[in-house]
Amino acid sequence: MELIYKIFIANGAWQTILNGLWATVQISALSLLFGTLLGALICFFRVGKIKPLKIFAQGYISIIRGAPVLMLLMLLFYGVFARSGLSPITVAVVTFSLHTAAHVAELLRAALMAIDTGQVEAARTLGFSKFQAFKLVTLPQILKIAKPVYQSTVINLIQWTSVVGYVTITDLTRVINNIASRTMQPMITIIGGMIIYLALSYIVQGIFKLTEAKK
Amino acid sequence: MKKILTLILTALMAVGFTGCGENNNAQNSLPPDLKVGIIKNLNASENLYDDMIKKAEELGGRKVTNHKYSFYDSLTLLQMGIESGSLDEISTYKNVANYLMAKNPNKFEFAPNHDYLKLSDKFAFAMRETDTELKNSVSAAVEAMQNDGTLENLTKTYITDLKPDEDPPAVAFENFDGADTLKVGITGDLPPMDLILADGTPAGFNTALLSEIGKRLQKNIEIVQIDSASRAAALQSGKIDISFWAIIPTDTNLPADMDKPQGVELSAPYFQDDIVHIDLKK
Repeated sequence: MELIYKIFIANGAWQTILNGLWATVQISALSLLFGTLLGALICFFRVGKIKPLKIFAQGYISIIRGAPVLMLLMLLFYGVFARSGLSPITVAVVTFSLHTAAHVAELLRAALMAIDTGQVEAARTLGFSKFQAFKLVTLPQILKIAKPVYQSTVINLIQWTSVVGYVTITDLTRVINNIASRTMQPMITIIGGMIIYLALSYIVQGIFKLTEAKK
Repeated sequence: MKKILTLILTALMAVGFTGCGENNNAQNSLPPDLKVGIIKNLNASENLYDDMIKKAEELGGRKVTNHKYSFYDSLTLLQMGIESGSLDEISTYKNVANYLMAKNPNKFEFAPNHDYLKLSDKFAFAMRETDTELKNSVSAAVEAMQNDGTLENLTKTYITDLKPDEDPPAVAFENFDGADTLKVGITGDLPPMDLILADGTPAGFNTALLSEIGKRLQKNIEIVQIDSASRAAALQSGKIDISFWAIIPTDTNLPADMDKPQGVELSAPYFQDDIVHIDLKK
């Protein structure tokens, strides 16, 4: 018990952990926001009728989904944006947004494909405009189908961000590693870190549950 | 279709299992007498490491080439390796071993003949090859500190005189208005040389040394926390200007720069430490 106090609380250690947690939450939340918007756009290109954009979207999805996100992060931070003066957090948000976008695009496309095209055709016959048909018929169904997959994308994203220590960001994983090195008690420290990540993903699940309850 | 698939899978599994079996047999023909964990040298290939172990065997006079060496990314992982029993001994620096044993009383001990390899590493600052001026001034500062006893005092405060139940003291940095800023990469991975205190500030012998060098060169020091595996990339891309590096002393017949990536220059060494082996107390 005293050991746990020493590792996680003493001398402001809890504040350091909270700071790390905040970095993790910040990167995850921003990447989720931008990633989802970009993902919707990419999906629009992917299922659209304009050939070059379609090919671009296909290429984008296969490249980003096929490469480890750590490689992408290192490449952007130490290569592409090395001289740009962007803060490490910004580069991390860009990386994880790009990464999430590819996944979101695919999950939206899967949801779109799951919907019977006959429904839109029927709506169009009934005099709905193209936009109305999308908004009133397709969109609500997409949201419903995509939600469970989206939830796991969010949780995955939080866990993927654990590699940002490689680009000089002190996130939760980095703080936990630092504490493990300093106290030389890796087992307990890492279990503690896992519990915090677990709590984060439970919070995400809770938020998704809340949106269900409202309906 | 299903039948064909099952057949293929079974065949694959059979091949897989026999394949594994053969591998095991090959290893068993020369049983490793000891499993030893080492922190991975950044740029050293395993072939180079084999050469080094062979040379160490000639120097140390004890058969070590049939030891089974595993390479770990960080001290934390190394420690977990020995605690879980997948390693018999771990190889590390003497001051790190002392720190480890002080933090875990009655758990570890020096392995029998723990220093039989008679190896030691020196520590130096790594900088970009193109920063010749910086390299010269840092080297000069290190030498000056060696001569006036500062280095010895710092070693005492931050390494030798550490109390087992206390964390190393915090390090203060002086601020020079309008002076250049040196960005320094700290890994926090090698206490008491390099660690992050509970309140999130970097400390340890390396950091203290750096603060002193900043004072002598009249430069501000900005600390960048970084993963040890990305130190070389950070140096090359200009994200940091200085990092800490362990080197093998030139007087031990081993290639001194086996761990040095291309494009990186090292300052004069500021510290030397023996490599020791520790194991779990029985």
